[in-house]
Amino acid sequence: MVMISILIGCLLGAIIGINVPTISYTYSSYLAIAVIAALDSVFGGIASVINKKFDIKIFISGFFGNAILAILLTILGQKLNVDIYLAAIVVFVWRMFTNLGIIRRYYVEKWTENFKKSKQQEKIKEEKT
Amino acid sequence: MNNNKTTSIVLGIMCMALTIGICIQIRTVNSYSTIKTGQNYDQNNLRAEVLKYKEKYENKIEQIEKIDKDLEKKIEQATNDNENLEDAQNQIKEGNKLIGLTEVTGEGVIITLTDSKLDATTALDPSSLVVHDMDVYYIVNELKNAGAEAISVNGQRIITTSAIECGGNIITINGEKIGSPFEIKAIGLPENLANLNRTGGYLEAMRKSSVGAELKKSNDITIPKYTGIINYKYAKSIE
Repeated sequence: MVMISILIGCLLGAIIGINVPTISYTYSSYLAIAVIAALDSVFGGIASVINKKFDIKIFISGFFGNAILAILLTILGQKLNVDIYLAAIVVFVWRMFTNLGIIRRYYVEKWTENFKKSKQQEKIKEEKT
Repeated sequence: MNNNKTTSIVLGIMCMALTIGICIQIRTVNSYSTIKTGQNYDQNNLRAEVLKYKEKYENKIEQIEKIDKDLEKKIEQATNDNENLEDAQNQIKEGNKLIGLTEVTGEGVIITLTDSKLDATTALDPSSLVVHDMDVYYIVNELKNAGAEAISVNGQRIITTSAIECGGNIITINGEKIGSPFEIKAIGLPENLANLNRTGGYLEAMRKSSVGAELKKSNDITIPKYTGIINYKYAKSIE
């Protein structure tokens, strides 16, 4: 259910994104950091769905809050001549890997369990025959 | 179940927003990086800086065009009722056309000059393989002699104060840098202008030294207006 909706969302987004006019180059660095922040939020959301701790309010506020904070930090960094966006990218990517690890562990455990179950069933069948 | 549904819908919408952002970003970056991105951090920064200035410059030009249009409208409004002023306005229009401040269209010729495709290292005189400022200068002069009323080189209108200078591997006209291929457009009687292509003419001499020089007649040529500022400081009109 969740995965299907994510897939549909991605497809729709790609179709809309290809047909929308491009933005000016000045703002592309801000959009880039916002995209990274949003990506982190989405991975966090999927991980929390798996952990059954998903809260819509936290998810939406995190999605927009992270993106806006990242953009503001980038602007501040440009004003101060410090590349603060690098720090933001490091944090976001680190969290992305953590969340990806949670998602991966969940599915690997699920599959191995399924595999074990099917093997046991086969054994039972063999014993019966 | 209801909770699960809202969760998936919200996640789907967020994913949509995310992919929209990614797509726009990819297309923006693609459309601006025509040159290969350098490995060097400084190089990339400089490139980004140049792109930003280019964008600002284009925005400024758009603004100027808008203001020009506003001015024209204002002048039209002000002269709507008065016949005397209408005469003056027509004079201004005519004058602007003569000094190259309006876009003009008509029949004429298009001359395309391209650097030779031969390998410069094998040539006896590598300098003869490229289009020089003097080539463009000579052709513009011949076009004027043949009765051209408006001339432009790579979109730069030739006006009374235009200079054609050498700038290393490029040519500077009206202070703007232009490079090969050079497209010289001229409006005038096409049969007269096409005489540049005559046997023993300058274009043939260029072709002999394996520089590309093509002349094409056209019924519909549009020559852009001069975008710079014409400043007369020392010449004063005699009353």
